[in-house]
Amino acid sequence: MSLRLNLYHEVIRAKERKRRDPLKLTLYGLAAVVAGFAGYYALQAVKLHSLNSELATVKTEFDNLEPQARTAKVREDELQTQLKAGTLLVKKVENRFYWAPVLEQVMQVVPREVQVTRLAGEITGEGTRRCALTIDGLSAGADARNVAETLRTAIADKISPQYKNVSSKFRTLEDGTEMAMLDGQQVPTATFAINVEFYSGEERPAEPVRRKK
Amino acid sequence: MKLGKEEIQKLVLAGLMVVGVIYCYFSLLLGPMGRSQEAARKSIEALGPTIAAAKAQIAKTAEVERAAPANMETTRQVTAMIPDGSPVAWFPPRVGEFFKQHGLDKISTRLAGEVVEKEMPGFRRMSWSIDLPKVGFVSFATAVATLENEEPLLEINGLQIEAGRDDIASQRALLTVSNYVKQ
Repeated sequence: MSLRLNLYHEVIRAKERKRRDPLKLTLYGLAAVVAGFAGYYALQAVKLHSLNSELATVKTEFDNLEPQARTAKVREDELQTQLKAGTLLVKKVENRFYWAPVLEQVMQVVPREVQVTRLAGEITGEGTRRCALTIDGLSAGADARNVAETLRTAIADKISPQYKNVSSKFRTLEDGTEMAMLDGQQVPTATFAINVEFYSGEERPAEPVRRKK
Repeated sequence: MKLGKEEIQKLVLAGLMVVGVIYCYFSLLLGPMGRSQEAARKSIEALGPTIAAAKAQIAKTAEVERAAPANMETTRQVTAMIPDGSPVAWFPPRVGEFFKQHGLDKISTRLAGEVVEKEMPGFRRMSWSIDLPKVGFVSFATAVATLENEEPLLEINGLQIEAGRDDIASQRALLTVSNYVKQ
C-alpha cells in the first residue's frame, strides 16, 4: 500500500470553512425567506387591489342608488299619505250615520194616542257612533202613562235589531193638566220625555275591568 | 463542528438580521396592508345591506306607484264631487236648492265651524246649521233620506224637530250637518 500525503490540507480546510460560513448560509436562507415574504406580499397586494376595486364599484353603485332611494322614500311617503287620506275619507263616508231609518222607525211606533212635540237627536264619536235621541210628547188615553210606557218599549224594540246597546228611559213622565179629545171622548193626558241611546258603526271597545281594591 | 468566536459573532449578527427583517415585514408591510384589506372588506360588507335596502325601497315605491291609480280611483271620484271655490259660496245655495226641490222653501244655512282633519291632508270638515222654520214631518224625513243618499260627503250630526206653537200641522226643524271639502 502506497503512502499518500495531502500537502493541500490547509487550503482544503480553508475552502471547507468558507463554504460552511454561517453568515453566508444565513444570508442565503434569509434571501429565500425574503423572496417568500415578497411573494406573499405581492399576493396580498393583488388581493387588496381587488378589494379596493370591488369597494369602488360598490361605492359607485351606492352613490347612484342612494339619491334614487331617498327620492323614492319621499314619493312613497307622499303616496301613502294620499292613499291613507283617501281610505280614511272613504271609511268615513261608509261609516256615516243615517237618520232617515231612525226617523222612519220612530214614526212607525208612535200610536195615534201620542203626539210627539219635540224630537231631537245627536251623534257623537268616531268609529263607534253614539246616538242620543230625545222624544218629548203628550200621550192620551184612559191610562195615559201606560200609553207612554208602551211607546218607550216599542221604540227600544224597534231600534234594537239595527243598532247596538239600545236603551230607552223616561226622563220625565207626569200626568197632564189638560184633557184631550180622542174618539169623541175627553181622556186624560200625560206628558213624557224619553231618552233613547244606542250605538252604531264599528264594534264598541270593551270597557276596562276595574280591579277590586 | 466547533464554532469559533468570529463565527458565533456572525451567527448572532445573522440572527439579528432575521429578526429585523421579520419584524419590518410584519409590522411595516404586511400589517398595514392587512388592516387596509380588513377596512375595505368591512366597508363592502357595510354597504351591502344599505344597497339592498335602497334597491328594496326603489322597488317598493315602484310597486306603490303602480298600484296607486287603482287605489286612488275611489278618492278621485269622491273628490270630484266637491265643487271648487269657497264652500260658503256654494254650500248654502246647494242645500237651499235641494230642500226647495222637496217643497221646503224657507231655509237658512249658516256656517257653524270648521275642523282641519290632520289625518286627511287636503280635506277639511265644515259644520253647518240648517234652519227649516216650517216643515211637515213626512216631507222633512223624505228630504233627509234623499239628502243622506245623494250627498255622501255630508253627515247629519244632529237634528231637532219641534211642533209649531201657532200652526200645529207644521214643525220647525234644525239640522246640524258637516261635510268634507277641499282644503
